[in-house]
Amino acid sequence: MINKRKIKYSVRKSLYGYGFILLWFSGTVIFFLIPLVKSLIYSFSEVSIDSGKTVVKYIGFEKYMKVLTEDEKYTEYLTDMIIETLWKTPVIIIFSLFTAMILNQKFKGRTFARAVFFLPVIIVTGTAYRIISGNNDVSDFSTVFTTDFTGDFLEFMGFYGAGDKINDFVSAIADNIYGIVWNSGIQILLFLSALQNIPASVREASLIDGATTWEFFWKITVPYIKPFIVANIVFTIIDTFTNPLNKVMERVSVMRNQWAFGEASAMAWIYFIIIMSVTALTVILSNKRSD
Amino acid sequence: MYKLRKYIWNFFRTVILICTEFIIMYPIIYMISCAFRDSADMNDPSVIWIPKHFTLNVIRDTIKAMDFGNTLKNTLILNTGCAIVQVLSCSVTGYGFARFDFRGKNFLFGIVIMMILVPPQVISLPLYTQFMNFGIGNLRINLIDNMLTMYLPAMSANGLKSGLMILIFRQFFRGLPKELEESAYIDGCSPLKTFILVIMPNALPAVLTVFLLSVVIYWNDFYTSSAFFRNTKTLGIVLENLDSELQMRLFGESVQLSQREKIVWQEAGCLLVLSPLLIMYVFLQKHFTEGIESSGLII
Repeated sequence: MINKRKIKYSVRKSLYGYGFILLWFSGTVIFFLIPLVKSLIYSFSEVSIDSGKTVVKYIGFEKYMKVLTEDEKYTEYLTDMIIETLWKTPVIIIFSLFTAMILNQKFKGRTFARAVFFLPVIIVTGTAYRIISGNNDVSDFSTVFTTDFTGDFLEFMGFYGAGDKINDFVSAIADNIYGIVWNSGIQILLFLSALQNIPASVREASLIDGATTWEFFWKITVPYIKPFIVANIVFTIIDTFTNPLNKVMERVSVMRNQWAFGEASAMAWIYFIIIMSVTALTVILSNKRSD
Repeated sequence: MYKLRKYIWNFFRTVILICTEFIIMYPIIYMISCAFRDSADMNDPSVIWIPKHFTLNVIRDTIKAMDFGNTLKNTLILNTGCAIVQVLSCSVTGYGFARFDFRGKNFLFGIVIMMILVPPQVISLPLYTQFMNFGIGNLRINLIDNMLTMYLPAMSANGLKSGLMILIFRQFFRGLPKELEESAYIDGCSPLKTFILVIMPNALPAVLTVFLLSVVIYWNDFYTSSAFFRNTKTLGIVLENLDSELQMRLFGESVQLSQREKIVWQEAGCLLVLSPLLIMYVFLQKHFTEGIESSGLII
């Protein structure tokens, strides 16, 4: 036995540190790291199940090539997904910042309003959401939000097909209004707590100096909440990409259920590399700007 | 002039809030309205919100098709169990990362971030084969269809969305004043004792938030549980398969119903699955948000 008192304080403290994370680390090796490495190996192999045992044969990049060139569904879903994330993320960020600023003001029924905005968070991750949002291959369901009212309006004004591009964009937003509002809960919450961190004295000082609301927003609010904007962008990207309800993920599940382990792993890894690079790019870009 | 501007803004604010909140409430109200109407009402264009033929039969059918009592019991056991062990394991891990310095800490925390980034689909497949013969050497058992496939990862802070929860705890503990522990150390408390007696009582908002988030995530989970379960039913799995189940039990081969007419059963299923969550939310709404707000997540 080593006497406890003879070990230096800092060493002892770091040993306790290891002690606290030991449970997580042993779990992570078994339930995360080993499966992760295995799936990487699978993606480079021909995998077959022989009398309960998995037989793995290395074949190089073949599965990746096959998935990217032959599986039309996969590549289609993948490009759709990337395009959707590219335009939806900024819309969600702007919407949630705007909503958070409204909810940060004082008015009657504020607590209720906040509770409603956070409500989607408890529903949106589940199967029920797909059904109640009418996203379940049933047409004519939630008809209220899928009518082409922008198109009708533009035609009424005499723009026959002239504003197709604008029309497309606006109606894309109108059609996806659910996806946007329903996926902004956490973002609104984070922006709210960021806004509450702006000291009252700063607000008073800027009012005395005669700052307009516009100036206050750009010169005080935005710098204060900037780290939260970055965090929210990253969160939104990860949230949309890792949502089990999205189509790419469903495609991976389909392949897995057909026991095409190699293909499924290659698909998942291509997807994961895209998530990693998009997230890394966001973080790097936002760091550069602040320098 | 200033007053007028204020009134106009108040008016617009109310309009904006009502519109967006309507978008959120719409599917929920519609779900409730559908669950209590006869399926014939779906083809009646004059019925939008208030059913003409009010009925409880649809709910009754759905309860039977989902085997609701048993499924609910299963889900509750799995849910609360996983949520409790996940809160414990994630808080311990988060504390280790927040308050101790050790070699390789940044690298190890990088793994936590990886856990957030890697979609569950990437690892679910090797996990499946791993659970199929789980153990070391010759001591191997088949864990598929066993609730341990959910419990074991949750116990070791590797359950659903564990990365995020470790992160929430880490941020929260970093925000607590260091004096809390220091005085305990001076009094001769060991770090583990300090953590249990001093830190945890001060971390109640974060504990509650993470617990509630865990309950919600496990409640809604379909993907992971359906990957490891065959005959064990949870609400998420049953709801996903409700359509085929109803087809078998209720409609049979002879009865032809359009997709639109089947919606009432679907919505009733959603209502049954969501109502415990919604009731919980009504009462505990504040605690859902408090921990995230006070930890100032990610910064």
